[in-house]
Amino acid sequence: MKKFWILIKYEWLNFRADKGLLILVTLTLLAGLYGIYYGTTEVQRQQQNIAGLEKLTEHNVEELKAKYPEGTDAGDIGYYHSTFAVHHPDSWASLALGQRDVNPYYIKLRLLNLQSQLYDTENINPQKVLAGNFDLSFVLVYLFPLLIIGLCFNILSIEKEQGTLPLLLSQPISLPLIVGAKLTFRMLVVLGLGLLLSILAMIWGKVLPDGRVALWLGVVMLYCFFWFAVAFLVAALQKNSAFNAVTLLGVWLLLTIVIPALLNVYVSIKQPIPQALALTIQQREVVHGGWDKPKRETMDKFFALYPQWRDTTEIKERFVWRWYYAFHHLGDVAVQDLATQYKQTLLARHELVQKLNVLSVPVNVQGIFNAMAGSDLPSYVQFLQSATRYHDSLREFYYPFLFRQITFTPADFAREPRHSFSSAPDVDSAVNGFVKLLGSVVVVFGAGLLLFRWKTASVK
Amino acid sequence: MVKSIAQKEFISTLRDRRFVVLSMLVLLLLLAATVVGLYSSHTLQQERQVAQEEVNHQFHNSADRHPHRMAHYGSFAFRPKSSLSFLDFGLDSFTGASVFMEAHKQNSANFSQAQQSSSLIRFGEMTVAFVLQMLLPLLIIFLCFGAFTQEKETGTLKILLSQGVSPRQIAWAKIAGYSKTVALVVTPALLLAGGLLFGQNGLDLQPDMLWRLLLFMAFYLVYFFIFIVLSVVVSALHQRSSTSLVTLLGIWILCCVIIPKASANLGNTLYTTPTKAQMDADVHEEVAKGIDGHNSQDARAEALKKDLLRKYGVDSVSQLPVNVDGIIMAVGEEQSTKVYREHFEKLTGTFQKQNRISELAAFLNPYLAVRHLSMGMASSDFPHYLHFQNKAEEYRYHLAQGLNHIQATRLKYHDKTTRLSSDTWKEFKPFTYETPPVHWALRHHLLSLTALVLWLCLVCTVGMRLVHKTQIV
Repeated sequence: MKKFWILIKYEWLNFRADKGLLILVTLTLLAGLYGIYYGTTEVQRQQQNIAGLEKLTEHNVEELKAKYPEGTDAGDIGYYHSTFAVHHPDSWASLALGQRDVNPYYIKLRLLNLQSQLYDTENINPQKVLAGNFDLSFVLVYLFPLLIIGLCFNILSIEKEQGTLPLLLSQPISLPLIVGAKLTFRMLVVLGLGLLLSILAMIWGKVLPDGRVALWLGVVMLYCFFWFAVAFLVAALQKNSAFNAVTLLGVWLLLTIVIPALLNVYVSIKQPIPQALALTIQQREVVHGGWDKPKRETMDKFFALYPQWRDTTEIKERFVWRWYYAFHHLGDVAVQDLATQYKQTLLARHELVQKLNVLSVPVNVQGIFNAMAGSDLPSYVQFLQSATRYHDSLREFYYPFLFRQITFTPADFAREPRHSFSSAPDVDSAVNGFVKLLGSVVVVFGAGLLLFRWKTASVK
Repeated sequence: MVKSIAQKEFISTLRDRRFVVLSMLVLLLLLAATVVGLYSSHTLQQERQVAQEEVNHQFHNSADRHPHRMAHYGSFAFRPKSSLSFLDFGLDSFTGASVFMEAHKQNSANFSQAQQSSSLIRFGEMTVAFVLQMLLPLLIIFLCFGAFTQEKETGTLKILLSQGVSPRQIAWAKIAGYSKTVALVVTPALLLAGGLLFGQNGLDLQPDMLWRLLLFMAFYLVYFFIFIVLSVVVSALHQRSSTSLVTLLGIWILCCVIIPKASANLGNTLYTTPTKAQMDADVHEEVAKGIDGHNSQDARAEALKKDLLRKYGVDSVSQLPVNVDGIIMAVGEEQSTKVYREHFEKLTGTFQKQNRISELAAFLNPYLAVRHLSMGMASSDFPHYLHFQNKAEEYRYHLAQGLNHIQATRLKYHDKTTRLSSDTWKEFKPFTYETPPVHWALRHHLLSLTALVLWLCLVCTVGMRLVHKTQIV
């Protein structure tokens, strides 16, 4: 054991003297800090924007109160008044922004038909979202492997190339001890950095300190172990430094870029989403067709769904609001199946990725991070469902005014339901991913160990 | 001498099994990306075309309606995939596919591919451009890192120099040899891409497309050349192959992974994007100060009526030869559109400022230069997206105003019940979208073009001077 610590000590001295390695570690540290800064500011900005929505609603209410001081038909309010369904980020979102920049985190809603409003998008710069988020999860998933590769690609080969290996081996120490000590030293550096950055990000982002702290740190450690295992496996081949560098970078490229890109192609071919355009075309057709249908027909259809309003007076006028909102709702009902299918297909896509992510550890780890932060596709689908329920509750709120023809007074605004939705972490799938990750580490490390034994045996 | 060095490099690379295997892999990926790209952009195009035809048909055969009802019924613009976008999806997966065009309101482009994907899509997409931008440089690095260092390590460099050639000549000779090898890898894929494009469009391939394709290829060839020269220069500056390789890989990581992401994120942090909700509220506020298209009680509407009465010399609006409802509506639309466009321009101005950071970063990083040019040629970049949005908005405006005109001229004052027959709607041309010409696209990428040319000059002059001064131990 003493020899082991001597080796570690000399590795440290070596490391301190090597400017290149110091620069590499410093760069990763800086990238990590920037990632934390970017993630937290981005989440703060989204929270500020969400807070700003409240003011917009208030402003809209004030405007309508001024416009109708004596109150008015609730139909006018339903038409001119808008509120927002909002998707608050989870406190962990700053560590892994996931799809929160692509999917809208609020939806402006009026009493009109939901399906024409539900999919409106936020102002996003497509060139920015194409480049992706430079958050902590990016630094951990993409850059940490590169750091590990940079530290380990010549772990054994450099001793050979410098001619120091025979010298070392002439001492009473074995090859496994040398490799073990070198790997341990590098692991200490990388894990120290990874855990430091993670804890910093948790404090900076003021995350909810629950079981996810341990899970996140565990994933970070295992993911680093995985790349150390890969580096070990390649080192066990006992080739020269250039070969190792190219091979390791090739593995990195394959796992973080090529396989995910191919998976993405496979998923989009295997699980196409034709519903979106069909849905948007069909709902318009039904809603606008509502103007031309006999009012009796529309109302009967509506009353079949809402029998409680059936005994309201027969419509003789050219236009009344309750009829207008009835055919708007029938437009939603007409595409309900398509809308449900759309959401299901989105989730099916996600499920398919969850199944296929065994093929690429980085995809798995990114998935775990996003699941923990509640920032992936399922959160968005849940938000869509929550917004749908909110629209339902808005309709429930306005229907008595509309069908009993009660005047909507300024005081009634206070009773209008408001919406708030916070994404919930998907701990189950995160734990599931953790188990898969553990499996990957064991397999690769085992393979490395076997290869190393076999190679050293054959050298002897 | 120079020729034989080039020939030697070419032949010895082809004899290197590792290189052959790697380049076969890259070639395979390139071919796969071509086929996959063509397939998925064809599917999307088909889907959008069918949808566009359906809504056009619906509009022309719509029920008898009041013209203002028709203005709210509106139409859709589905963004067609350009023929070359299969080479580089660019922003296409992150931009909305459909815009609903109605009176009074400018809607967002909805349903982007990215919104319908899990975070997997953020790892990048398998396109020809991706292979050419990211993987080919790696292959080049692998090919060239030992250009000088190997000769130094084996001691053959001194022998070469003793033959009377300068290091600069050796460098150029090697660059020539490597370029030939790279051409061997890239040409089949580019030929296939070109062939498929011709096969798809037949003989009526527009010259504009051809120009785009040729420029697309040319930009990449320049990019590869820059990387080849850069690798040879770095190799000349190092004494050992392994350090030369590590330096080059470091450069690759910086250029292809870190800088692109960091510069885009920096732009986003520096210039805040207003939310759509805030923008809509601001537009509403400013329009409310003007005429309200729906409310003829508005003071300005009153003034407008008075003007009309004076102009035609009549006492009441019902005596006017035109329907004042339609005119008020038209003036309202004009005003709200003007306000909206101002805000939209401000928004796109913010986006452009954000993107400018990445464009400037191209001077640090040839990858960004070629990436922007590549998207530009494939018409999947930001200017093309904006072009589509503006065309859709233009169509929306003309549709709404055309319908207002019909209301003003064919309907009586306060007539809310008359329905015009569907033949009226056939007067409106359906929405069509043409990709702007290639020079338009180039004009939007002058900065990236300059950066690429500058890089080319830089590696050829400064780089070669460095090679000349290299130490031979």
